[in-house]
Amino acid sequence: MYAWLLVLPLLTLLSASFRSDADLYAPGLLPPRPTLEAYQEAVQKYPVGRYLLNSLVVSLSVTLGVLLVSASMGYALARVRFAGQSLLFGFVVSLLLIPGEVTFLPLYLMVQQFGWINTYWALTVPFIAAPLGIFLLRQFIKSLPQDLFDAARIDGAGHLRILWHVALPLTAPALGALAALTFLGTWNMYLWPLVVINNAAMQTAQIAIAQVVSVEVTSWNVVAAVSILVLLPTLLAFLLAQRAFVRGITLGGLKG
Amino acid sequence: MAVELKQPEREQSVSRAHLRRGGETLEALVLLLPGLMLLLVFIVWPTLNAFWLSFHRENLLGTQRDWVGLANYAEMLRETAFWRAVGATFLFAAIVAPVQILLGLIAALMVARPFPGVNLFRTLFFLTTAVPTAVAAVAWGWFLHPIGGVVNRWLQAAGLPPQPWLTSVELALPTLAIVTAWAGVGFTAILLTAGLQQIPEDLYEAARIDGASAWRQFWHITLPLLSPTLFLVALLTMLNSLTAFGQIHLLTRGGPAESTMVWVYRIYQDAFFNFRFSYASAQAVALFLVLLLLAGVQFRWFGRRVHYG
Repeated sequence: MYAWLLVLPLLTLLSASFRSDADLYAPGLLPPRPTLEAYQEAVQKYPVGRYLLNSLVVSLSVTLGVLLVSASMGYALARVRFAGQSLLFGFVVSLLLIPGEVTFLPLYLMVQQFGWINTYWALTVPFIAAPLGIFLLRQFIKSLPQDLFDAARIDGAGHLRILWHVALPLTAPALGALAALTFLGTWNMYLWPLVVINNAAMQTAQIAIAQVVSVEVTSWNVVAAVSILVLLPTLLAFLLAQRAFVRGITLGGLKG
Repeated sequence: MAVELKQPEREQSVSRAHLRRGGETLEALVLLLPGLMLLLVFIVWPTLNAFWLSFHRENLLGTQRDWVGLANYAEMLRETAFWRAVGATFLFAAIVAPVQILLGLIAALMVARPFPGVNLFRTLFFLTTAVPTAVAAVAWGWFLHPIGGVVNRWLQAAGLPPQPWLTSVELALPTLAIVTAWAGVGFTAILLTAGLQQIPEDLYEAARIDGASAWRQFWHITLPLLSPTLFLVALLTMLNSLTAFGQIHLLTRGGPAESTMVWVYRIYQDAFFNFRFSYASAQAVALFLVLLLLAGVQFRWFGRRVHYG
């Protein structure tokens, strides 16, 4: 019952997306005459596929970049001995406190100077080095037994080899969690894509919804259809990898 | 938070130290340099720049910035619209946090312990984490629609007048807060479920043997032992809702009559519609300081927990 109430807003949205213009305001939770009209109109009027592709390219690139940078930095901060290690770690931790709302104006001016407005670069490169990811993987790699790393050292392996062959396979659960967290976070970005993208072809799915809402003021069935199409990929990812998502959110939340 | 460095691991035994060779610094550099460069360029530099901007003011053409000291901050503190936005922001957070925590707690209490079909309910309760902000906003925009919306239809069925949820000055902000709380239920439920699962089962068994009612068990076992997680979740929810933007942009654009003009929305508007980047930056820095203050509270609390642990 409670679960039903919680998902009800989504169900009514789903219902609206299957209604024709004439049935839109007809009462009842189920559409009286289910139809795909709204979906047809949505994909004819808007490049929904392109929006989704943009979001997908951006989210996957950021996720991959975050995994690479976090793994190498996390490993170095946990397992390689060099002068100033703890200082550097403290520095990364302090960066956790800086919210994106503070950096986004100067970042915008910078990206503008780089000529990155309306490009994937603006949407990806600034987010590849994520303090949270570095912190999480550093903590995880630090918690692995030291003996494994010693054994690899005795065998004469360098740090890059150890990272690749010893640390990364053992870090798989943390990597999965971080990947899920990053993917979702990037897909959910709103303010940043809103300001750095202003042409339709480069729009991410989220911002595209805002655009559609302001155009289709009365055609809520079309708005609903676009929204459902945008929801599907993250929903699917969540259903397939719920464990990784839950782990990622627990880790990401409990770090503080 | 981060500061629990494990001391024993720092003491390398002599034989281990012997294994280490030179050139480690070089390897460290290879691993660290790319990420470090990115951090400096895309986080540290913009942060410093935010402060720098806030002490300047652009001329009318936006071609040049002159040093004005604290003038932006002085203007900000004098402006009543700014204080209204601050008030709206905190009111918003003050509604989101309790509602979201309560809804999430109810969900977490239902699914923390295994029962047949628990996975289905976990999926349903955690689902909102997978719903993008814009989709959540649209779903509620329709849910609360003046004509087609289910909520208003229910009100009418109950003989009550339909409400202009998102278009009235009094209702818009609380309505947006409810939407935000709903979108965050999955997040809170996940964290609280993790917290509940850390409470040892035998405590409840002992309580049951003593004949304690479910309510007493909740009051005397669950709530005290969950309180660290609850406190953490409360702070995270507060911090998140203080920077809410997407759902407001999509549903009300700060209106009606600026009643949903929150802090971040003002920053966005001053920068991209009034073209006053430096003034907007001063407001962003002020927001940063407030968030930092709240994070400081959180930090102190964590210090205490580590101490007790």
